[in-house]
Amino acid sequence: MRSFLPEVAEQLFQDIQKYKNTKHFVFGPCALQALDLVDQCSVTCLSSPSGRKAFQVMGGSERLYTCFVSCHYCPCPAFAYTVLRRNEGLLCKHILAVYLCQAMGVTQQDSVSDQQMSALLSGTAAL
Amino acid sequence: MSFGKRKRHYKDIKCVFFPDDVENGLQKVGREPTALSSVSSAKSWKKCGDSFLDSPLMKNLNSSGRKLSAIRKLAQSPALDSREDLVNIAWSSSGSEQSDNETQEQHLSRGVVQQQQRPRRPSRPTAPIQSYTRALRMLGTDKDDLPVIDTDSDLDESEEDVDEDSGQQISDCESESFDEKPEDLPPKTNMAEQEISGYASDGESFGHTMTSSRLDSESCPLLTGEGSKRSVSDWVRSAQAMLQTPQKSFARQSKTPEDSAKKRRKFQSGGLAERLNRLQSRQRSAVSFWRHQSISDASTATVDRPGVLVLEVLEVQEECSMQLALCEHQRPPGEGHQHENPVSEERARMLVLFNRETAAQLLPAPRDIIHIYPPWQSLSIEGFSCDIILNTHFSQKVFSASKLANTSTPRGLFSAERCSPYSLCQTFGLEDACRTTEENDAKQVAALDALCSYGGSGGLTRHCLSLLEAIEGLGQAGSVGQDVEVVVQRVYSIPVPDCSPMTILKPRVPSRSSTTPPSAEKGKTRLCVLVQDSYGMFSVVQLHLLPHKDDLHQYCRMWQGRTCVLTGINVVQRVTRERRTRLFSLIDSLWPPVMPVKDHGNTPCMSSESRSAGPAPSFCYLLSGQENSVEPVEGHTVSPLYLPPTTQTLRDILQTELKSCRCSFIATVIYKRILQSSDVGQGEVCLVLTDPSLQEEQPERPCRRTVALCVNTSCVLTSSVLEALKSPAACRMSFRDAIREHGVVLCVEQSVVEVCPVAPEVNSSARPNSHSQSLSEPEAKTLPQPVRLDPVSPEITPNSLCSLTGVIVGVDENTAYSWPTCNHCGSDNLEMLADRAENFLCVSCKAVVDRPNTRIQLEVFLSSSLTNCTLKVKLQQKTIMSILNTAALEGTEFPGYDVENVLGKEVGPLAVYVRVVTRKPALWIGLEEISL
Repeated sequence: MRSFLPEVAEQLFQDIQKYKNTKHFVFGPCALQALDLVDQCSVTCLSSPSGRKAFQVMGGSERLYTCFVSCHYCPCPAFAYTVLRRNEGLLCKHILAVYLCQAMGVTQQDSVSDQQMSALLSGTAAL
Repeated sequence: MSFGKRKRHYKDIKCVFFPDDVENGLQKVGREPTALSSVSSAKSWKKCGDSFLDSPLMKNLNSSGRKLSAIRKLAQSPALDSREDLVNIAWSSSGSEQSDNETQEQHLSRGVVQQQQRPRRPSRPTAPIQSYTRALRMLGTDKDDLPVIDTDSDLDESEEDVDEDSGQQISDCESESFDEKPEDLPPKTNMAEQEISGYASDGESFGHTMTSSRLDSESCPLLTGEGSKRSVSDWVRSAQAMLQTPQKSFARQSKTPEDSAKKRRKFQSGGLAERLNRLQSRQRSAVSFWRHQSISDASTATVDRPGVLVLEVLEVQEECSMQLALCEHQRPPGEGHQHENPVSEERARMLVLFNRETAAQLLPAPRDIIHIYPPWQSLSIEGFSCDIILNTHFSQKVFSASKLANTSTPRGLFSAERCSPYSLCQTFGLEDACRTTEENDAKQVAALDALCSYGGSGGLTRHCLSLLEAIEGLGQAGSVGQDVEVVVQRVYSIPVPDCSPMTILKPRVPSRSSTTPPSAEKGKTRLCVLVQDSYGMFSVVQLHLLPHKDDLHQYCRMWQGRTCVLTGINVVQRVTRERRTRLFSLIDSLWPPVMPVKDHGNTPCMSSESRSAGPAPSFCYLLSGQENSVEPVEGHTVSPLYLPPTTQTLRDILQTELKSCRCSFIATVIYKRILQSSDVGQGEVCLVLTDPSLQEEQPERPCRRTVALCVNTSCVLTSSVLEALKSPAACRMSFRDAIREHGVVLCVEQSVVEVCPVAPEVNSSARPNSHSQSLSEPEAKTLPQPVRLDPVSPEITPNSLCSLTGVIVGVDENTAYSWPTCNHCGSDNLEMLADRAENFLCVSCKAVVDRPNTRIQLEVFLSSSLTNCTLKVKLQQKTIMSILNTAALEGTEFPGYDVENVLGKEVGPLAVYVRVVTRKPALWIGLEEISL
């Protein structure tokens, strides 16, 4: 059988209003934490003059996590553990928060220089 | 709850959603809720976020605080008892009289504004209470716009379940009061709270005949007074409801495994997370209550209820810890309940998604029939032929295919095939923009699927490897649904105090007094295994009663050190280090594991980077199971994770620096003494042990020659051990996992005592590997005869042995006496013959005793090399004989002795047992001579 959950998740995000109470069913406990991040407006979309974009999510421990626009990756331990190692979750709370913020349009916008962006994307900068 | 009523008046409400609407101008967003488009809601969500962003701190404080409490009031009052309140507070403005509404609404809002001390145009027909209620409804409680997933209204629809409904209320009440109690306490009079409570009561009284002039003239203190009074009564009522709620502990218990690990943190008040949290806790208790009910009346399957999906499972796969079942619809749902996506055609296929808890409860397998009760929700995805059913919390298995065909495979639990991880290189599109790429992705995933079969090595016999995981996913009745693969580290048995099953759950064994009524169960023992999973987690599994105590060794041989699969186990208790120090001393002795444990990563290749073992676990689970709950895995001999008990010499054990540790050793019992009770195996047994390491010459570090060991009543002694202990001869025994603490060696619950065979090589006993080699080493040496003992010293402890030489300095005349015994059998049970006064009849051997032996009890005080110490020794017969004039004893008449004859005589060296040691006011040692 093929994998269905990503499609389910995608459809959920598209119909987020209709299925808003299904989030925690599909995403489990991280839905709650992601909503908390949304509440605290922790998601910032950084864009550089070159047109690159990246998301920064302020984690619960005041740590900034950089999430990419083009693929699912988050440097947080939960992602490494739940998603990469155990294959038990689709997303971590940070990426989920990015999606939710986007779907709700509450992402904060910020612009950075190209230099900062490249440092950010290469993981060498603590912005 | 009267949502129906709400819904009716919904279209009448003209309200603004969010604070910034109020601020920025007149913006009527009233619309029919049932027709809410996702766009508009998303916009209002956005506004919600914006309002938090944009508003300055002060305003934010005011408005959001107020909003929260308005919500809170609304949410709380229906939960308590008065449904009327809800209607009044929330919906009075939109009440049945349309004509009154306009003006009243204005007045209300005006009054509100004046209280807020914020200038506002009076013409704005808005009321914060309404808007926030609306917002709450929209974002959090989701009652109305989606009838399909409407929990409460569905429960109302099934009117026959009155209990269910009340369960819902109870759960409401619980979660509310649990979270919000501090705020509702009257002493906490922060200004915002007071105002808000004023609001609530305002809103209520307004529902009757409140006018704006009255509101204006009303002084604030009065309002707040009313408000706080009200909140007190609210609080009291909620407290009462809490106290009366029978389901409370049940519901909370059920979520313990999940929640205990989580940090309890406070969400932003009024935020989405808080609402979801509330919704979740309500849902959790609803689900657990529903499960409880569905278990209790499983016989009456109500298929005829509308909206119930009757599905036959065709295929199951596991994906991201959820289970996705391809099902075939059996029958169209009953009439009268129209879903948004009604499954009308018969035998339609659909995909059903079960979350982890439901899946663990349900264990869906092919050919099972499953009922899914509303509210479920169906999701149709473009390009998919079948719908996907979500929110399947209320699911029940009504027909189990595996149960029917459980002939050969006793635990023929079907385990779902695990899906390969999804590709991370594609993000989810929020619009339809990336639809085409997404389809490619799907193909890619499908191709990947074919290439790698994840975890496919075991095929159908894939067991859970983690105890914690299995316990986490456990069902309602505390039974662990999954099989867990563990290594059996230790097998032991515990005494069963009586036959009551409840006491089995509390394995702390009360010390048996002689007054315990003997029962059939008396002396029965329960088999226990200490298991460890590959992540290092321990659990104790209490198994069946052993028909014979000696069967323990058979199970030791079968299980100990082997990799076994646990099936059909129940969780009894979670125990912590503080509560069960003894158990954890055993666990500590098994820590760190021999090989690095897995790091809760599933793939074996991860083991290379597994961390060094941290501190030993601080908790473990007590599980219970049946005899067939433990089954060794075929093909394995000894698990690499098994840490066999290392046999030490007594000398090593005595010289260890550790304060408290488990130790295993082989030693010779040179003396045994039963404390407390008359029968071996009933009371505590005190043994004095020695081994060659203690007996040999000790030039470098002198050590005690003997070790006292106390066998606790909680340690089961098998009948062969008891037999050996009853015989007077010295015997060699192996002691496994005894505790050495505070210089004393104890055998307790988890310790196992075994008789060692005389010939070392015949030892085919419990331990399957290296143990037998390690024990042959001390075996080579033999004990010297007689056994060397320590000389008496001031540091001597009770229940130990020492040797004593000294001069008699006094006789305890009060305790000195003599008595005749039978010269044939030695019995002192004699009867005086009527005719001859000096002859007796032995009751035991029925012989006439013409020359009775005279036995003497004598306790003397000795002076020895030990100065400033009183030594009182109870002597044995042979020593007494040697110091007295033995010839006189053989005469027919007992002459009696003068104390002076005895004084000054030297005795020793004697082997003595230390009975009492008193150190204050002066050292006083009570000894008893023994023969080894």
